[in-house]
Amino acid sequence: MEKTPTALLLKHMRVTNPLPMWAVFGVLALLPLFVRNDYYISIITLCLIYATLASTWNLMAGYAGILSFGHQAFYGLGAYFSALITINLDISPWLALPLGGLFAAFLSLAIGLPCLRLRIAPYIAIATLAFSEIMLVVCKNWVALTRGEMGLSGIPPLTGWQWGDWFAVSFSGGTKLPSFYVMLGIYIVAMLVMYWMMNSKVGLALKSLREDQDAAASLGIDITRYKIIVFLVSSFFAGVTGAFYAHYISILAPESVFGVTEMVEIVAITLVGGIGTFLGPTVGAFTLVVGLELLRGMEDYRFMVYGVMLVVVVLLLPHGLLLGFQQTVARLKAILRTGKAQ
Amino acid sequence: MFTLPILAEQGVNGLVLGSMYALVATGLTLIWGTMKMLNFAHGEFYMLGGFGTYFGLVFLGLPPWLVVPVTVALVFAVALAFEKAIIGPLMGRPGWDISTVVATLGAGIFLQNFAFKFWGGDFLNVPYMFDGILRIGGMAFAWHRIYILALSLTVIITFWQFVKRTRFGMALRATAQDNEAAVLMGIPFRRIYTITFGLSASLAAIAGSALAPIFSVNPWMGMVPLIKALIVVILGGLGSFSGAILGGFILGVCESYSVLFLSSGWKDLISFSLLIIILVIKPSGLFGAKEW
Repeated sequence: MEKTPTALLLKHMRVTNPLPMWAVFGVLALLPLFVRNDYYISIITLCLIYATLASTWNLMAGYAGILSFGHQAFYGLGAYFSALITINLDISPWLALPLGGLFAAFLSLAIGLPCLRLRIAPYIAIATLAFSEIMLVVCKNWVALTRGEMGLSGIPPLTGWQWGDWFAVSFSGGTKLPSFYVMLGIYIVAMLVMYWMMNSKVGLALKSLREDQDAAASLGIDITRYKIIVFLVSSFFAGVTGAFYAHYISILAPESVFGVTEMVEIVAITLVGGIGTFLGPTVGAFTLVVGLELLRGMEDYRFMVYGVMLVVVVLLLPHGLLLGFQQTVARLKAILRTGKAQ
Repeated sequence: MFTLPILAEQGVNGLVLGSMYALVATGLTLIWGTMKMLNFAHGEFYMLGGFGTYFGLVFLGLPPWLVVPVTVALVFAVALAFEKAIIGPLMGRPGWDISTVVATLGAGIFLQNFAFKFWGGDFLNVPYMFDGILRIGGMAFAWHRIYILALSLTVIITFWQFVKRTRFGMALRATAQDNEAAVLMGIPFRRIYTITFGLSASLAAIAGSALAPIFSVNPWMGMVPLIKALIVVILGGLGSFSGAILGGFILGVCESYSVLFLSSGWKDLISFSLLIIILVIKPSGLFGAKEW
């Protein structure tokens, strides 16, 4: 039986205790009560974008063992699809969010199906990387549709409401708060869906097929079906996140969503937080996005830091910050109880 | 447009490009064959080869016969340190297939951004090592391209003989076949791994050095050859030496002729689509990889 780094995490993987998840949701929802600054709100929104992307990548790579290097393609597909249908077809951005997700999920089959035959991590990594590079090439060169390298601009923001003259929600200009809550909503829905998946038969099947595909198949687990479910769910939420990003930022360029650097960020965040843990990617997103924001002057070193971090995490902290922290706490408790170091 | 000289010229250009893909891919397939890992920092050794050549030829004004071997030797040394520091510690731990992919990816990103920070992001031009143009019939071939072709054929044949005939080559093949049995025969497999990794990086550095005058030198120059080499090793069958060489030439010639039909922006689509098609139809590649 081949051991994946996450194989060791098997006992940590069951997400039976929903309390930490609800606590995270609660803290995030109440955060604007304490954080009034618009700049901070926009940073937290960025954290949530990456937390959602990393968590959905984690579903694939950490839980199902599909080491995809093409997650940014789904993000980009959702972003571009949503932007293009709102610009060209005058569709409401609110409708375009789920449509962007559906489009990404639909195209994920184009790479998900060929991947079904691949077993070892390097092959899957190469195949998915090729898929995202194809998307980048198409996006750069199909100038008539995507305007190529010039990028799209003037993507309409989400439409606001006005109830009477005392309550209005606006997504264009002014406060970033409404956008923050929309992204929080997307994050919460994605997490709840994954939570439900992990605690149902699907989660059990994923764990078994990640550990040993042949044994899983011999026990009657429909590997193909579960892998496709993972591809669909994971790419759908990446696509919705991309669609949100398009309307939030209102300009898109091929490299800004389809670029390999996006993938590097997603992978780094997940690994730092802890691959194969439910809340790890969220911890990783807040740590890295806020951390690099604090080190604003180090902007030039941003990707050097990411590179080093990937190596260091793999070498020294293979289970990520979250479990590393839990292990340290457990060890401290043991020391306190027995009165001596082990 | 499709006159004979143009077709012949494109054919030679394809072989030149293909010979370089073959060199880079041979390095990748070599460490897959022995260590069962994929090096996502492989393109950065190519990049270091390019920068070494630039510094030697342009900055220091040294002659090519000195610059190329010194550059390759330096990259070899860097690769040894790389292997000792990053790959060695991962050995014997669970999750070898994923941990090495992520660690080498991280190291590659570091090297790219290190080069960007300290050597700048400009596209640096390197002069041809051999000036002049060879004219045969109505066709024209730059001598530098012929040098590339000759160099890569020499390197490939030498390397082949090295692996086939020397004691080290035998130890390398034994380790690749069965690691544990090789250890029982007294082969120091850790040292074999380190040297193999260094050799693999040297092949990439040779390619980077030879191609520096054709494509300009910059921190991201290794990404395209890496992706092309990944496609080549899958086309040829991961772990297969002959597959990497044949696959390299096939991809080079295909790309070279595709320029006649497609604008250069769409050209990359050919190789990526080829990859996905291989993975769908015959994931084991031309020479049959054992697992995929």
